[in-house]
Amino acid sequence: MPHDTYTYDVLIIGAGGAGLRAAIEAANGGASVGLICKSLLGKAHTVMAEGGMAAAMGHNDDRDNWRVHFADTMRGGQYVNNWRMAEIHAKEAPDRVRELEAWGAVLDRTTDGRINQRNFGGHRYPRLAHVGDRTGLELIRTLQDHTIYLGVTVHMEHTVVDLVLDDGRAAGALAYDRERGRFHAFAAKAVILATGGIGRAYKITSNSWEGTGDGHALAYRAGAELIDMEFVQFHPTGMVWPPSVQGLLVTEGVRGEGGILKNSEGRRFMFDDIPDNYKPQTASDPEEGWRYVTGDKSARRPPELLTRDHVARCITHEVKAGRGSPHGGVFLDIAWIREKMPNAEEHIKRKLPSMYHQFKQLADLDITREPMEIGPTTHYIMGGVRVDGDTQMSAVPGLFAAGECASGINGANRLGGNSLSDLIVFGKRAGEFAAAWAREHAAPRLNQAALDRLEQAALEPFERGAEGENPYMVQQDLQETMQALVGIVRTESEMREALERLDGYKARASRVGATGHREYHAGWHTALDLRNLLTVSEAIARSALERQESRGGHFREDFPEKRAELGTVNVMVKQDTGGAMQVSRIPIPPMPDGLKQVIEEQKS
Amino acid sequence: MGERIRLQVARYRPEQESEATFDEYEVPCPKDWVVLDGLNHIKDRIDGTLAYRWSCRMGICGSCGMTVNGEPKLTCATFLADYAPGPVRVEPLRNFPVIRDLVVDIGDFMRKLVKIKPWIVRQAEKPLADGEYLQTPQELEEFKQYSMCINCMLCYAACPIYGLDPKFLGPAAIALAQRYNLDNRDDGAGARMATLSEHEGIWGCTFVGECTQVCPKHVDPAGAIQRYKLSAAVESMKSFFLPRGA
Repeated sequence: MPHDTYTYDVLIIGAGGAGLRAAIEAANGGASVGLICKSLLGKAHTVMAEGGMAAAMGHNDDRDNWRVHFADTMRGGQYVNNWRMAEIHAKEAPDRVRELEAWGAVLDRTTDGRINQRNFGGHRYPRLAHVGDRTGLELIRTLQDHTIYLGVTVHMEHTVVDLVLDDGRAAGALAYDRERGRFHAFAAKAVILATGGIGRAYKITSNSWEGTGDGHALAYRAGAELIDMEFVQFHPTGMVWPPSVQGLLVTEGVRGEGGILKNSEGRRFMFDDIPDNYKPQTASDPEEGWRYVTGDKSARRPPELLTRDHVARCITHEVKAGRGSPHGGVFLDIAWIREKMPNAEEHIKRKLPSMYHQFKQLADLDITREPMEIGPTTHYIMGGVRVDGDTQMSAVPGLFAAGECASGINGANRLGGNSLSDLIVFGKRAGEFAAAWAREHAAPRLNQAALDRLEQAALEPFERGAEGENPYMVQQDLQETMQALVGIVRTESEMREALERLDGYKARASRVGATGHREYHAGWHTALDLRNLLTVSEAIARSALERQESRGGHFREDFPEKRAELGTVNVMVKQDTGGAMQVSRIPIPPMPDGLKQVIEEQKS
Repeated sequence: MGERIRLQVARYRPEQESEATFDEYEVPCPKDWVVLDGLNHIKDRIDGTLAYRWSCRMGICGSCGMTVNGEPKLTCATFLADYAPGPVRVEPLRNFPVIRDLVVDIGDFMRKLVKIKPWIVRQAEKPLADGEYLQTPQELEEFKQYSMCINCMLCYAACPIYGLDPKFLGPAAIALAQRYNLDNRDDGAGARMATLSEHEGIWGCTFVGECTQVCPKHVDPAGAIQRYKLSAAVESMKSFFLPRGA
């Protein structure tokens, strides 16, 4: 029996940017709102975001507007995006940023006091509203304080075990509090998932421990559909050492300032593999590359600045060929510019202050003197819960999703800066439409027997006690498998093997044990997280098998080219009545002529 | 991984003991391991019941503050090798009730946070279509430093005043109030004054400065407190000497 029951109009799961923005909107819409988060308020993964929020306000270049932003987003996503979401996002992001500013967000300014915007990969004009390289902290702080201001109830350090349905519609959730290990029932007319990503399914990730695919898996088990799960973004430069920081991002700015990639033989390998369609825009030798990064407009960019997916694959290739660094990455060297400039040390510290600090503080390494060891890191999943582009409601009535756990806006690849803006645009919409749904529908019933069953199942690890397997060992093996077999470079045979191994982990997950009491029991929590990790891992592997082509973040060694017939479909997974994962292709609805025209006009 | 170091970790399990005891664990100690690596090693390999908070591993979420050999530290940024040959004593942050092992209850801080109204207070909102509220880089510079706080609670753990008088608002909350007071978009200084000026507000601080020393983000709460005291003193002088409404 749950310890107690809370009743809300709208229940929101996750308190990162999307969850908080949804809470604000739902509360403003007159709904009673409950917010559940796994960590303390303000500590969600959003806090780690650095670059900024993309919004076509045109402050730094008045040629920018929603049409350009829309076209950039679609090009980045290789046209398998939900075009309606890309349109809404481009149109509404400026107002969402201004709103955040009005609530007090600290943002870097132009000399005349307007919001300053910076350049970023894939965005035609300077578009990212930002504050230094800590935009995520500011975003979450502002939303958090506004949430408190509105009096939203926050249940901190609670984890949701499963959603509960009433006659097919969302009715609430069962959660446990991490502090005491007690179960709590939440009844709600509408539920919003805002749980972020899945990075913890991989060994090397930039995500915090919270990224275990909870929302993806909760939705899937409740009968919702997941799409685009094969599209995982691997950022080329993550820290590989020391272990506590493995996977943490090393900003693209290091390469922008002249940082070069080298293998263990000291070779600058990026010059060895430049795709034909990028050759005209890429430097022909290191000298030209250096001129580019020092501002010579006649020079072409060095190959280190090719697209994220390509650079990540080249690094992987070097490591697989045995030319990696001691800890399984390659070398990213900015210290070499000492040969080029007398004041290099100062220059690096001034241009890359947080990177200098990050390596000094966390790896005890001086980047002005030594090369960094870096490797690709699992950064973001484009795939997630399939939602209606306008309302963010899933196929399960009353169940909404927003932010990284929802899918559609990014297609096959996300542009940097489009994530923070996604959170506030679609967080707002999810909150608005969930509150409206709650107004129009009567309270559902919570099925007590179902809650009891969920609680019993969640406590099983204690029954096995010390006899059961250590859940960390299963998690670790799963992460190794996903990293090695469903990572940056994929082939059918490896993914089939991964699926076989996942079956084995499923069996092991049902045998894991936990000992002692339920208070703050990290081992038990991991035992429960395993279920979600297994679901998203299987969804990624099955979707990646289905997409027999290479597009965006998804690269198949056995199908290295794009295929036109796959450019008009999304891959979808859904649980069938027997509990098995069904994979299908669903056609992307045809784009209205007006939007097609926008894309055409922006091609020139 | 030849080098190893002993960690003496505070354990407190309220259902079985009335006060904290120490468990000792031996963990690897390569030169680039931080205290948090040591704790994760214990949790994953030796004892899955050890309770502590952490998240980002990069010093931005402010979850992993603990007392390391007597000093408040972010454990993701504190190297084990700096304490060689050990042992290293890891305890929960001081001045907070302990919930379990290394986890403390920061509810008191969360309640104080609300009291200082950490949001923009203004007479009237303008429509979004009218654009943003202007703020020059100079105006931003006035308070930007105070906006760097990550709520890691190290300053509360270090504050001798908060240790003696839990009613004291404390460094981070006052610095945050100043962050808003000094923001040119805000009109809330008056509304915050009642909270800041009451006995447990800024007057509680005797300017010891420990908060500023331990702050991993160089927020300088002590400076914020000092600055507010000065302006509050001027305000109260004015109200004393000048007729009402002047």
